[in-house]
Amino acid sequence: MLQNFLLNILLTFVWVALTGQLDYANFLFGYTMGFFILWMVNRSIRANTEYFYRVPKIFAFIFLFFYDLLKANFEVMKDVVTPNYNMKPGIVKYEMDAKTDFEITMLANMIALTPGTVVIDLSKDKKFMYIHVMYLTNKEEFKITLSNRIERKLLEILR
Amino acid sequence: MNDILIMILSTLGAIFILIASFGVFKMPDFYSRLSVTIKAATLGIGCILIAAVLYFSDFSVTTKAIAIMFFLLITSPVAGFLISKVAYMTGTKLWKHSLMDELKDDLEKESNKQSKTEKEN
Amino acid sequence: MTVEDYIAYVVMPIICLAVFFIILRFIKGPQVVDRVVALDLLITVGVAFITLFSIVVNNPMFLEEAMIMALIAFLSTVAFSYYIFKRKRDE
Repeated sequence: MLQNFLLNILLTFVWVALTGQLDYANFLFGYTMGFFILWMVNRSIRANTEYFYRVPKIFAFIFLFFYDLLKANFEVMKDVVTPNYNMKPGIVKYEMDAKTDFEITMLANMIALTPGTVVIDLSKDKKFMYIHVMYLTNKEEFKITLSNRIERKLLEILR
Repeated sequence: MNDILIMILSTLGAIFILIASFGVFKMPDFYSRLSVTIKAATLGIGCILIAAVLYFSDFSVTTKAIAIMFFLLITSPVAGFLISKVAYMTGTKLWKHSLMDELKDDLEKESNKQSKTEKEN
Repeated sequence: MTVEDYIAYVVMPIICLAVFFIILRFIKGPQVVDRVVALDLLITVGVAFITLFSIVVNNPMFLEEAMIMALIAFLSTVAFSYYIFKRKRDE
């Protein structure tokens, strides 16, 4: 995992040094090419392929996150611009799968960055999270979407 | 072409910021104000930073813009979490049409338990 | 119409309107926490304003100021919330 990542970075710098063009497009191109070359070289070794499935997952998660951010922003925007309120706020108790402090911090950051949801408190045994939700149509449905869409994918990347 | 893109992006970012500030002014209770502000402003600043990157089209400017965006994305949730927790602890009320408050029930349960153990002791 | 003129005469007034709304909330805010949130948003809008200003005067030097402001913007919120929490506990 770490070995493959360091090799990939090394290949990127070799590419940039050989071409001599110091800009972001060249860095990205070198990284992508090094990624595919390492993938082809390592394909036969079963234990080494974990890195090559994790990197696409990270990018897919970032894109999904920005899509969610935009969609939720427009929802909130509609409520701000129109004169009457159609929100249904409430505080929901949510049972997390995240165990360590780092995982909990990342999950809280993700929840805080999507508009309409704010983390208010953690329980003392770090098992439950209290979330203030602005559009609470159905409590169970909200919990299921949160755990399926964000938490499971985040933990897949971090673990 | 580049100029038109810069104009569109900066206008879009300014409108996001305007909507966030109008939300702060208009929303009825503290928690919905908090959840409107932080993210809409972050999105608006992202749009304006992309416009600046397109305008200067320079390596150092791109690096600075990425650094600004990274700092904002890391720090603003921390500030939001802290201030919302303190607001709840100091007794800020929810909106009057709120559906449920599961944190209040749990805190009451806990304080009941504590007072019971104090009595037993 | 150049980009600099457009930003100076169209985009910057929109930001000024946003600052006006935030200051209204800052004056009105029924509690201290409302004012703290308004102040936090004001600093964040300041970062956007500095970025636009660096485009208008065509000088990327000002982006460093914006970077420093983005770094320390949340410190004021943390300090205020610590202070409010401590005052509440001492009562």
